[in-house]
Amino acid sequence: MAALPRRIIKETQRLMQEPVPGISAVPSETNARYFHVIVTGPEDSPFEGGLFKLELFLPEDYPMSAPKVRFITKIYHPNIDRLGRICLDILKDKWSPALQIRTVLLSIQALLSAPNPDDPLANDVAELWKVNESEAIRNAKEWTRRYAMDN
Amino acid sequence: MEQFESLLTCCVCLDRYRNPKLLPCQHSFCMEPCMDGLVDYVRRQVKCPECRAEHRIPYQGVQGFPTNVTLQRFLELHANIAGELPDPTAGQVMERCNVCSEKAYCAPCAHCDKKVCEDCKSAHMEVLRREISRINNQIRRGLNRLQDILGVVERNTINLQTNCGAVAGEVDEIHKRLAKALKDRTDFLRNEVDRYLATELRNLTNLKDNLELELSNIQSNCDLADKYMNDDVEWEDTELVDTKEIFLKTVEFLRNFDYEAGDYNRRVRFIMTHDPNQLVMHVASYGELNITQPNAYSSSMQQNQGLTRSKSDHRLASQFRQQEEAKGWQENDEPILGGRKFGERRPPPPEKHTRDYGATDDYSGYESEHRPARSRFRSRFVKSHLDNDSDSEQTTRATKAEQQQKEKEKVVDTEDATRGPLSVEKRKKKKNLLHLLLSPFSPHLSRVSVHLQHKGNRSEDDEISRLKRQNKGAAASSQEPERAPARPAEEERTAVNRKPPTPAREASSDGESDESVGSLQRNQRKNAPAPQKPVTTTRRPSATETPAPHRPAARAPSTESSASTESSGSAVKHTGAILSIAELKAKYSSSAPATTPGSRFSSAGNERTAPAATNGTAGGAQRVQSRFIGSQRPTPAPAPAEPVHEDSDTSSEEETDSSEESDEEPVTQRKPESQAMARSDIGPLLARSTNARNDAVENKTKESPSQSRYRTRQSSQTEEEPAPRYSAGSSLSNRYGSKPREEEPPSSLDDETKYPTARSRYLALKERRNRLARSKSSHTGFGAGDDDDQDDPVSPTTASPSAYLAARYGSGTGGSELSRSRSSHALKSRESSPERPAPGEKDGAALSSWARYLKNKYGSRGKDRDPTSTSSSTSRRLSLGLPLRSANELASSDDDSKNAAGSPISPTAATAAVAGFAAAGSSPRSQYMQKRRLQFSVGSRGSEPGCFTWPRGIAVGPDNTMVVADSSNHRVQVFDSNGIFVKEFGQYGSGEGEFDCLAGVAVNRIGQYIIADRYNHRIQVFDPQGRFLRAFGSQGTGDGKFNYPWGITTDALGFIYVCDKENHRVQVFQSDGTFVGKFGSFGSKLGQLEHPHYIAVSSTNRVLVSDSNNHRIQVFDVNGRVLSSFGEEGSEDGQFKFPRGVAVDDQGYIVVADSGNNRIQIFHPDGAFLRAFGSWGSGDGEFKGLEGIAVMSGGNIIVCDRENHRVQVF
Repeated sequence: MAALPRRIIKETQRLMQEPVPGISAVPSETNARYFHVIVTGPEDSPFEGGLFKLELFLPEDYPMSAPKVRFITKIYHPNIDRLGRICLDILKDKWSPALQIRTVLLSIQALLSAPNPDDPLANDVAELWKVNESEAIRNAKEWTRRYAMDN
Repeated sequence: MEQFESLLTCCVCLDRYRNPKLLPCQHSFCMEPCMDGLVDYVRRQVKCPECRAEHRIPYQGVQGFPTNVTLQRFLELHANIAGELPDPTAGQVMERCNVCSEKAYCAPCAHCDKKVCEDCKSAHMEVLRREISRINNQIRRGLNRLQDILGVVERNTINLQTNCGAVAGEVDEIHKRLAKALKDRTDFLRNEVDRYLATELRNLTNLKDNLELELSNIQSNCDLADKYMNDDVEWEDTELVDTKEIFLKTVEFLRNFDYEAGDYNRRVRFIMTHDPNQLVMHVASYGELNITQPNAYSSSMQQNQGLTRSKSDHRLASQFRQQEEAKGWQENDEPILGGRKFGERRPPPPEKHTRDYGATDDYSGYESEHRPARSRFRSRFVKSHLDNDSDSEQTTRATKAEQQQKEKEKVVDTEDATRGPLSVEKRKKKKNLLHLLLSPFSPHLSRVSVHLQHKGNRSEDDEISRLKRQNKGAAASSQEPERAPARPAEEERTAVNRKPPTPAREASSDGESDESVGSLQRNQRKNAPAPQKPVTTTRRPSATETPAPHRPAARAPSTESSASTESSGSAVKHTGAILSIAELKAKYSSSAPATTPGSRFSSAGNERTAPAATNGTAGGAQRVQSRFIGSQRPTPAPAPAEPVHEDSDTSSEEETDSSEESDEEPVTQRKPESQAMARSDIGPLLARSTNARNDAVENKTKESPSQSRYRTRQSSQTEEEPAPRYSAGSSLSNRYGSKPREEEPPSSLDDETKYPTARSRYLALKERRNRLARSKSSHTGFGAGDDDDQDDPVSPTTASPSAYLAARYGSGTGGSELSRSRSSHALKSRESSPERPAPGEKDGAALSSWARYLKNKYGSRGKDRDPTSTSSSTSRRLSLGLPLRSANELASSDDDSKNAAGSPISPTAATAAVAGFAAAGSSPRSQYMQKRRLQFSVGSRGSEPGCFTWPRGIAVGPDNTMVVADSSNHRVQVFDSNGIFVKEFGQYGSGEGEFDCLAGVAVNRIGQYIIADRYNHRIQVFDPQGRFLRAFGSQGTGDGKFNYPWGITTDALGFIYVCDKENHRVQVFQSDGTFVGKFGSFGSKLGQLEHPHYIAVSSTNRVLVSDSNNHRIQVFDVNGRVLSSFGEEGSEDGQFKFPRGVAVDDQGYIVVADSGNNRIQIFHPDGAFLRAFGSWGSGDGEFKGLEGIAVMSGGNIIVCDRENHRVQVF
């Protein structure tokens, strides 16, 4: 395996030195491109109080291509499916090399605050969110309590 | 400021802008790799990471975008303000890495010699580090070897000491022995002279007394006659007649009385058995220390080789030490190397860290920790230390090792380049480090260090060489103790070796005429220029040739003076000797003059020989003896004949009488009774004394039945008993017999003419005495005969055996003489009886005269005695089956037999024997005992003529050429016996005349080369010129098929034996390749084989197979039946570890290449261990993986030293 690009090293160092509030990203001991990420549920959101585990992997051609991010903790969110895949534009076509790990994670945190049921990934959730937002929010809170709070 | 920073940072690479390019959207990015990576090649667009604006890429690519000059200025400005170093990669262009193909700033890598990117390079360095540590581990493991060798050296030191001590002791012992022998002999000689003087004086006195007595008797007789032979006295006629007769006899006696001048001027002469000078020479060089070998060994190549080896060891050690040092400071200045740490391997000693790198104390401190060759360490350390210092100055270093420098420079430079801003000092240190790192693997540096060593540390070399030499010496000396015992053993063996031919010769000559024997013996004598002396030395080892045994025996009775069995034995021996001589004489004399009665007897005697001889063979333990006894036997017949001639010479009257007498006597079986009867016929006057004497004689014969001089002649039965016992006598007879034969023509004349004088003094004395006695008796009627008889046994007290002999026979002679003279006195009694003893007397006379003659010819009796006595003891030892080893024993046995003469001679004889055998060089055993020293070695690794790559099989071709299977060069090479390349043939392939890793080679009787073509699973045969003749076999397990055939050999009939290694069997083929048979199957039982490797056939058609994985040698007959097996797994003497090559010499000695133990072992033909030599290593006489072995006709052992790619010749 080729050595880590300087950018990744720099980003990692910065993540350690200036952590983003509510977000922790720690590189794996065995693979510097693999990060264990924990994102706290944003305030005033159904996910408040939950600690959501994610995994983030920087592909070989990072930063020219987007990092791969996935929720490990189950979450009730219209843009996140049951497998934890995230529907977020900057992780897809809107990716820009100017973005960084921290910006990606901030975007994800923001996504938690502002679900976008119009561009759904989990259709059932998005449906419920659109039809009965309160119940959806209740479900989200329930899930958060069930999956993101105990451990 | 932070914002300022971020403005100068490319948002893609998050680094400072490098060559910022401005997009139309006014965002700037580094040209490489950031802007490059943004390019959408499909759409030929670049999408701004910041604003996602899409821009067409200019025709010439992203370089076409304008450079953001403002930003660049800002960057420069910032750099100036912040004091940052300029970007080291600023001027560089990115290239594709030659390893990972990524685009990056590439630099040449010393490891792979390519331009590679940083990452790959560091990976390579990692690999190197791992390799170094692996090699280091290997070295650590290998260190044991040095320790082992150290142990061996210490052990050898002790061995050497004990060995030298033992040798010194041996020398002391020999010295004691020699001194004792010399002293004993001197004392003995002195005593002998004294005793002789005393005896002679007594005899002379006796003689004088007797003469006086006789004188007075006769005078008184005369006076009486004068007084009474007148008319005054009345005489009866008969009285007068008697008186006249008496007086007539007296007259006759006076007339016959001879004055034997020889008897009255005796003289003792001292004659050395050996030339004194030679003796002194022998003593002066009675032994030597065989230490030349180790000297030559160690002083030559070995030493140098050892030096270089040890040098390399030291270098490694020192280099690593340096590395540790380097590591020390490197860790202090940690950041220089970034991630690459040497410290990962093992932490250097803390004090090293703290110390200054440049401090010499440091090295000397280390050096003091290491005992051996410390100054070398220092020199090297100091040297390399200097080297390091000079490194920083760049100039001196260049002079040291330019090429290395260059290489290093490359690395260093690129390192610097990629490292970015580094302080000058740090860079230099790093360079040093690299230098150090590289140095263990750089030949140049090693050369430099070696060079230095040569220059600076001569003393060091000396020390090492001394060490080596000591080592070698010890090794060689370890062989020394083997040699020491070997010497006696060799002696022994020469004795044994020399023995067989003699009996064989004797046996063959036995059947032939006496002349042939004589000629043989003459030949033998010719071998020895100075007849007496060398004869004894050369003959000594062989029992058959030694005349001696009878000597000590003869002397023994002299002390005992009784008719013990010993004395009787000696008596018989004498008879034997006499008889044989008499026989010879008879033979010659009978052939020379006109036919006399004697000739008849001799033939009769020969007839008689036959049964006697057969008896002798039947009864005698030793054929040789029996032969001699047999040859002795005939004498009874000729013996009586013999006197005839003598008599004819001495007195004409008696001659006819005695001839007639003897004529009758042998025919009529003589017995004591008849003697007695005959005697009874003697005139009354003498009858009594005669009878008395006769009784005495008969008493003697009764006491020792076998001994009686008469009886021996009479019955072969009586002789049978003593026969085996008297081998000594027989040998004496042999000796004497041989001489007479040569001297025959003159001697027979001499004998007869000289008779009175040449005859033994004692005989003469006896005769005289007897005559006197007779006259006495005739006059006085005393029992003079009794006196004589009493005297007889006493007479042997004279030390000289011949004298004793003479005396003994003299007694007989005396009797006969007396009786004869009696008969002459008593005229009527001229019958057989007085005459009958005559032959015996004549025999005695003959012998003694012979003895005399020999003595006169070859020296005094002392001389005569010595050889006989020594050889007697020797032969007796041999006959007793005792080892002939120690002179002490000899001396003691000689002492037993009152003969100390043996001891001083025996060493000489031994040395002579040794010398003789050495000259002959025909004893393979001793030859093998000396094996160890490399004569020369051939070849080194390579594929040129004379070089080898894993030589395996080896064989000896015609003219002692060496034929080597140069396995991995797929060819056969032929060298002459001096190791000069003669020719080669074969190449890689599977066609005719091509090989694939051939293994075994053999050369048959007609010079054809037979090759086991291993990977082609076939046997190929080539003509003596190396041209392909035929091939047979293919892979398989059936008959005539092979699975990796290995060793190969042929026997005298041309059968080809192949070790079919993976089939665990031996196959036998006719020379044309026809399958004949096979034997062996997989297993470890007797007759089973596991990976048989090599094979050899002895001249006795024993097939030896190195049963490699069973760690043994098995011996088969040609039909594949197991005869024996020897060896087992182990490294002791006679044990094997994967024995490979096996060879057998024409004597049947077996040579085995004990591959796992890296030594050559030699075995007796019966498989008993003889010796071993060799050890692991690449020096002379050292092996790494032995393969085939062969023995040349000269006894040289040639062996393939596989891993050293050479052939060694011992």
